Amino acid sequence: MRGVARILGLGCVALALAAGSLAAQGGQAGSTRGKELYDKWCAGCHGETGRGDGPAAGYMLPRPRDFTQALYQIRTTASGQLPTDEDLMKILEQGMPGTAMPGWSSVLSPSDRREVIAYIKSFSPFFASGEAPEVVRIGRAPRRSEEGIQEGKELYQRLECWKCHGNAGRGDGPSAPTLRDRDEYPIAAADLTENWRFNGGGRVEDIFQRLVTGLDGTPMPSSKDLLDAGVVTEEQLWRLAQYVRSLSPEQPPRVQEIVRARRIEGPVPQHPDDSAWVQAEEFYIPLVGQIIRPPRWFAPRVDGIFVSALYDSEKLALRLRWHDPSESPDSAWAEWRGAIARTMAPVDEPLDSLPRPDGVMVQFPRTIPDDVTRPYFLMGEPNNPVYLWRWQSAPRLAEAGRATGFGTFTALPSGPDVPGYEAVFEDGEWRLVLTRALAAADTASALSFATGRPIPMAFFAWDGDNTEGGGRMAVSTWYYLVLEEPVPGTAYVTPVVAAMLTGLLGWVVVWRAQRRERTISGARE
Amino acid sequence: MNRGASYYLKHPFWQAVLVLLASYVLVKWGIEYLPPALGSLVSLITEPLGLGRVNWPSAPVPRSIVVQYMLTVMVAILIYVSENEERWRRFKEPIRAVMVEPSLKNLRVALLILFPVLVGWATYQQAKGTVSAPVGLRTIHPAAPTQFTFRGRTVLLSELSNPLRTTGSLEEHYREGMRVYYQNCLPCHGDLLNGRGHFAHGFNPAPLPFDVSTIAQLSEAFVFWRIAKGGPGLPRESQPWNSAMPAWENILTEEEIWSVIVFLYEQAGVEPRRLTEEGGH
Repeated sequence: MRGVARILGLGCVALALAAGSLAAQGGQAGSTRGKELYDKWCAGCHGETGRGDGPAAGYMLPRPRDFTQALYQIRTTASGQLPTDEDLMKILEQGMPGTAMPGWSSVLSPSDRREVIAYIKSFSPFFASGEAPEVVRIGRAPRRSEEGIQEGKELYQRLECWKCHGNAGRGDGPSAPTLRDRDEYPIAAADLTENWRFNGGGRVEDIFQRLVTGLDGTPMPSSKDLLDAGVVTEEQLWRLAQYVRSLSPEQPPRVQEIVRARRIEGPVPQHPDDSAWVQAEEFYIPLVGQIIRPPRWFAPRVDGIFVSALYDSEKLALRLRWHDPSESPDSAWAEWRGAIARTMAPVDEPLDSLPRPDGVMVQFPRTIPDDVTRPYFLMGEPNNPVYLWRWQSAPRLAEAGRATGFGTFTALPSGPDVPGYEAVFEDGEWRLVLTRALAAADTASALSFATGRPIPMAFFAWDGDNTEGGGRMAVSTWYYLVLEEPVPGTAYVTPVVAAMLTGLLGWVVVWRAQRRERTISGARE
Repeated sequence: MNRGASYYLKHPFWQAVLVLLASYVLVKWGIEYLPPALGSLVSLITEPLGLGRVNWPSAPVPRSIVVQYMLTVMVAILIYVSENEERWRRFKEPIRAVMVEPSLKNLRVALLILFPVLVGWATYQQAKGTVSAPVGLRTIHPAAPTQFTFRGRTVLLSELSNPLRTTGSLEEHYREGMRVYYQNCLPCHGDLLNGRGHFAHGFNPAPLPFDVSTIAQLSEAFVFWRIAKGGPGLPRESQPWNSAMPAWENILTEEEIWSVIVFLYEQAGVEPRRLTEEGGH
């Protein structure tokens, strides 16, 4: 079935190439403006000939769309059909979350947008037939209910969504490392717990539409034939969409500058699944590719870390949780590593597909700064070093180190300044707890965690099975960790005193005003 | 007593209350939301004319600044009402009435309870003490040095000009600049040059946009210096900027930097600032 589609597809590509150049030369009426705009704003990624091979193509994943194939993921039309102009317009205006494609409304006027869309369509002869593609009408979502979500969950199992998207929906299913798009580029199964990164939008309606129409050009099939064959009902598909939506939070996580650690009556939890962690608030730190110092990395897998922290009289415990589809190095992902190494441009250094571990680093300055001055966020500077915690998956270890610049990590001798750790990998997620005494033993290299002061903190992460290692990693800039001091007793006394004094003053003022009034009126009488 | 709205509008006390409320609304929400809203309104006209959308971004005002604004307004109001004997008397009238009028006893008691409670609450907020992140000010256009080293060579900023403006084909330099931009700058500064590339959300401070507010104010020599030296090469006075901008002299060639500068001005549709005869700015 897929083989046939591929042969057909190849034929189409050949046809498209031949006719596409014709169409471009022939010049659809009024498309000079479209071409101008396209060459200026779109060609950098999609290429001047529309083949998705612009100069930036090897610098992003997923790759830019190849317009000559007329294969579009996000459509309101049936699988295998062309998109409508409105479908294309929606992507042009709103962009595609989770990819490098932005929305263009602020740069392109409505008429410009129409010109660009006409020009993009001219790259493929398929649009020339003139037949308007038919929109698959979708009904209304049934009321959301717990039973409905449960039904959706069962369907998720029955339709084998988990094979790619994983048991918990984190894009870690057994087939995930083998996924390729129409051009044999590696394509990640969507992490269904991050609906703010869904290419076609994260609402229940968007998900339902993707289910019905499929994502053409990707391994994500359409469920239309299942509907037609009566294997599932439309109602059930809505339940599935609602279940998928329920895997993500109501709102995307809000990024805050400060990670607040609460003080608890010890001891701090050592294990990531300890029930004591319910006392800690969780903060989200977004991570992006390290594109500052060679070797730069444009396709990081870890896109954020959820951080929570607790401390007691002696120790600090930091809990990190991040999504990663494999426990690297995993031989099942060797093929994926190869595909990534072939697909991404070998920026600064050649890429290889060697097995590497997963890893994470937490970075602190060596001492808490008195002002906003912090060491350079990429592992410090010669005159302003950083103190780091490094953890890796294989061989499993945690160490402490110091660095005076990018790539200068030097491990400290084992001792009390090295954090203790416990890690769990489950369903595409790492959960890690790092613990250390508040006071450092060697204050020349390690940081002492003081309470009530903002302590700069930054994160780096590696997914070994995504070819990451060394400078090829995901990074954050500086955030802060604050070990919150319990509210002092005086905080309850002073407000009462202040309120009483104010009240007293108020009564005195009023009393005096009234007495004067009486004196005046008395004098009048 | 039933008085019309005009009585209150002409009364100095109620005028003062009104001005205070209006200033608060303006400072707290107006500064944040008015410019973008106006931009959208103007866009209703410019967009159909094919002039594109107007974008006037703004940001919320920090609390300390709100307090400062409100104090200034309060002082101005007090000067205004006390400047004239009659106005001052009328201004005090409602205050006196609340304190002594038997008919306003309920209001008086309510205020005498409410006000101390508010003071107590505000004191508690202060006393419980939350630690906040230190605030760093951002200098968008740091003062340029008179000279800097580019790959070990000393360069005088005043003598620096874009050699590509006078050699070869500008069209080709633009295309080369586009390649450089899309392979290096895009993830942060974005294809719309708005500083919102697909990696921009990961960096604090946020990457700068390229538009009339930035590169149009700068000479090409200044832009060359900023690109070549990046965040690590910022002068002392504009630290601690914590910028993630790489020092591109380690990655790009001199010609690549000049070509990306040609691309930036062309793509943004703005002109570089020209240095005057005296060579300063």
